[in-house]
Amino acid sequence: MTTSEPTSETDVEVTVNGRRHRHRAPSRLLLSDYIRDTVGLTGTHVGCEHGYCGACTVLVDGDAVRSCLMLAAQVSGAEIRTVEDLAPAGSDSLSPMQQAFHDNYALQCGFCTAGFLMTLESVDPSRYETPEQVVELLSGNLCRCTGYHNIVAAVTEAWNLSRRRGGSDYG
Amino acid sequence: MSLDIDSHIRHSTRHIGMPAPRREDRGPLTGRGRYVADIKIAGMLEVVFVRSVEAHARIISIDTSQASALEGVTAVFTGADLADVGAFPDYIEYIGPVEQRPLAEDKVRYVGAPYAVVVAVDRYTAEDAAALVAAGTVYEPLPTVADLDQALAPAAPRLYEHWESNCSFDVSPHKPEVDRAFDEADHAFTETYVSQRQTGLPLETRGVVADVADGTLTVWSSTQSPHMVRTTVASMLGVAEPQVRVLHPAIGGGFGTKTHIYPEDVVVPWVARRLDRPVRWIEDRLENLVASVHARDQRHDVEVAYDDDGTIRAVRCASMLDMGSGEIFMPGSAPVFVTNACITGGYDFPNMAARTVGVVTNKTPSGAYRGFGIPEGAFVMERIIDRVSRLTGTDRVESRRRMLLRPGQTPYVMHGGGRLDSGSHTESFERAVEMVEPALRLAEARYADDPDVRVGVGYCNYVEPTAPSYHLTTGHWGGGDAATVRVDPDGSVRVAAGVSAFGQGVETAAAQIAADALGVEPRDVTVVLGDTERTPYGLGSWGSRATMMLAGSVLLASQRLMDKARRIAAHMLEAAESDIVLTDGVFHVDGSGRPSVSWAEVGTAAWVRNVDLPDTMEAGLEASGYYHPENLQHQLDDEGRINAAASWSNGAHAGVLSVRVSTGEIKIEDYIVVHDCGTVINPALVEGQIHGGVAQGLAGAMYEHFQYDSDTANPRFASFMEYLAPTCAEVPPLSVEHFESPAPEQPLGVKGCGEGGTVGPPAVVAGAVSDALSEWGVDLTECPVTPVAVRAALRAAAAAAAAREKGGVA
Repeated sequence: MTTSEPTSETDVEVTVNGRRHRHRAPSRLLLSDYIRDTVGLTGTHVGCEHGYCGACTVLVDGDAVRSCLMLAAQVSGAEIRTVEDLAPAGSDSLSPMQQAFHDNYALQCGFCTAGFLMTLESVDPSRYETPEQVVELLSGNLCRCTGYHNIVAAVTEAWNLSRRRGGSDYG
Repeated sequence: MSLDIDSHIRHSTRHIGMPAPRREDRGPLTGRGRYVADIKIAGMLEVVFVRSVEAHARIISIDTSQASALEGVTAVFTGADLADVGAFPDYIEYIGPVEQRPLAEDKVRYVGAPYAVVVAVDRYTAEDAAALVAAGTVYEPLPTVADLDQALAPAAPRLYEHWESNCSFDVSPHKPEVDRAFDEADHAFTETYVSQRQTGLPLETRGVVADVADGTLTVWSSTQSPHMVRTTVASMLGVAEPQVRVLHPAIGGGFGTKTHIYPEDVVVPWVARRLDRPVRWIEDRLENLVASVHARDQRHDVEVAYDDDGTIRAVRCASMLDMGSGEIFMPGSAPVFVTNACITGGYDFPNMAARTVGVVTNKTPSGAYRGFGIPEGAFVMERIIDRVSRLTGTDRVESRRRMLLRPGQTPYVMHGGGRLDSGSHTESFERAVEMVEPALRLAEARYADDPDVRVGVGYCNYVEPTAPSYHLTTGHWGGGDAATVRVDPDGSVRVAAGVSAFGQGVETAAAQIAADALGVEPRDVTVVLGDTERTPYGLGSWGSRATMMLAGSVLLASQRLMDKARRIAAHMLEAAESDIVLTDGVFHVDGSGRPSVSWAEVGTAAWVRNVDLPDTMEAGLEASGYYHPENLQHQLDDEGRINAAASWSNGAHAGVLSVRVSTGEIKIEDYIVVHDCGTVINPALVEGQIHGGVAQGLAGAMYEHFQYDSDTANPRFASFMEYLAPTCAEVPPLSVEHFESPAPEQPLGVKGCGEGGTVGPPAVVAGAVSDALSEWGVDLTECPVTPVAVRAALRAAAAAAAAREKGGVA
């Protein structure tokens, strides 16, 4: 029987979307796998597992984090938010940004969408005045379907950017 | 063309042509979408494939003992264990047979080829074990061929020893009129154009989950064609088709890569049966880059005959496809045939002699990617037109104008037999020119004070064959598709169809079509796709076929349903059937609102209150329709010509680019798309297809390139750090306009729109950058047009000029 070091285990105690979780997890377990397989929230998607595409973005204590680049063991004690937490609880309605994505046809296959929404959720909208700043914010998230145009248009609408700074190429 | 689907339906609202909101959004927006990787079954094991690290080698031995002994490992299988599984079929007679086994046995032919499979309690353990299998594998490396020249060299090592060479196929047309034109023309030149290796790169990788329960093998696959997967898997595993169910949950993009049926589609179900356990395999991104099909990778050796006045008299083009190892089903041969079929685009240009060649190399198998050969051909034709314009001092717009098909010139039969049934070839180009001219002036003014910047414009006219024959690609199957439409007792409508959806909005469009065809609201329509148990046999979605197939099959089924519904309503209203009309979902006698019966009352009569039916009528309210496009051909005629598409969309792209001479930096100042896909079912969805297509086209024009080491055929990429997919910072805003030239033989006039966006950008970018740098004689012949490529072209042009000067002095 071969034994290997990576199978050591660690206690992970986190709050995910307001609910406390406590698990004994392999030390090498990625945060993305912890959220998807251990906690069971599969709205966070894994697109590359090397920190590039941004699909797995979640909030750790308010900061946007690529969950494929962190270990579950590293987030013990933290508060995590995922895409499942964005829509108002107990109703059929969507958050204003989710609604803007829907209204602007800003998703097609939807695989990248959670990552975009969580990146947007991590910032203070009042610091954004132009679509160009939105482009910079979102340039760490890959989308393969939409060509991005409608995503930027959705954010422009949700954050009222065109009203703040006149017209725009987007929207 | 009138969109009156049925003169007995009186709509107060029309749904076809409206930007109906997408019904697919809620799941992914709220994190409740369900993709293959989200499927969890109690007791499920994880599968990891072990893949070749050699590009060409014999496998001498595989020691699986260490991996098998690892705690948590259930099983390790190699090719020898799959002796009872058939090979992938070689259906096409004229291409070299590859006899592909699901797992490579004695020989591997590309880095990434699967040759063993590990099953374990979790992915981490399975990957540990896979590493042990890899370490226990002994190869005998063989010399490699990394490109066309190496593969076709006289003493080249052969991938398939029983072939005479690495050439899989070589088809030449007989065109004596082209030879005559070369004899008569004033001038001729030769050139080589290259379309580099790329891939569709869906953000969701592939994945397969398989489970055997109650005698049924259920396979969830991230595939674009579940029925074809079922037929192939059942036959290779030797299981009766009704005992196999293939379905796809949500799919995170496909772009053609998921039309193929891969080894994993067969091996994962085999493992589930062998172990009698549910199993899951999710491709990781490195696997996706080496083990999902690549595409493009064509070289075009052309000879062009032209006259002093700028007339292009004839072209000979040898289109050579690098197929990689060729080990993929359906084979990757078809795109280069499409390249040649479409190379003359919307131009009236019969004097094309296009030779079609496929060659195997020690690289990942190539296959389908959005565009499917069209961009490669458009790139060649547009670069030729720009070259001849430059050589003869002809205006580039004028050169195109002279050749484009004019209104009234369709139907037009192209050089290879493609039948352009309709289109706005001249109109689209003229509109693009009209839009690009002010953009060019603006850009020139913007950089007027910067001596380091040059501005140029590029053009591309193209045709887009839609809903093609699959017989040419696969050697089997055809080109039609089916839908079943049912009205339930409560009046709800259920549409089930054999096409698939993976982000395009197919369900939304299907509901719009059914709503108009049955006089109901889209919200009353449930759409079922992607499940072999619940949908009629169909070929899935690829080749811009889904909407066209739905528009044909749903309409046909709905009309059959309407006939029966009107007979039922007439009986219930004690009126003549010919007097019955449907207004806003209610059947009544024409000219009188009452009495009336609703769809629910008709549905109830049909299913649960049969006493309300006419005496001789069968119960039930369900109908199927199989749609096969009228002029679609599946086999070559006696002269080797074929119209392999149900209809032809068209478009014109134009772009203004600026180039910083000192650094080679390129910026897209404006990008214009004028597009024509016939009757539009949902303009917002069509725009989405164009936006996404252009982004992928620009990716190929400026960024994405799979590069291999020429000595070892080893990939020089392993992640998104080497394969540069564009972000929103790279993709510019677009100006998009539409023409609508309805498909004359399609009942609703619908054509497809999935490929077109990808077609224009390589020609537009290379054309614009060459235009911008024309004072140095730069004339680009390949993509991606990177800053490095621009600087190299400038240096080469300077060297050529210096050589000319030196020669002149001497």
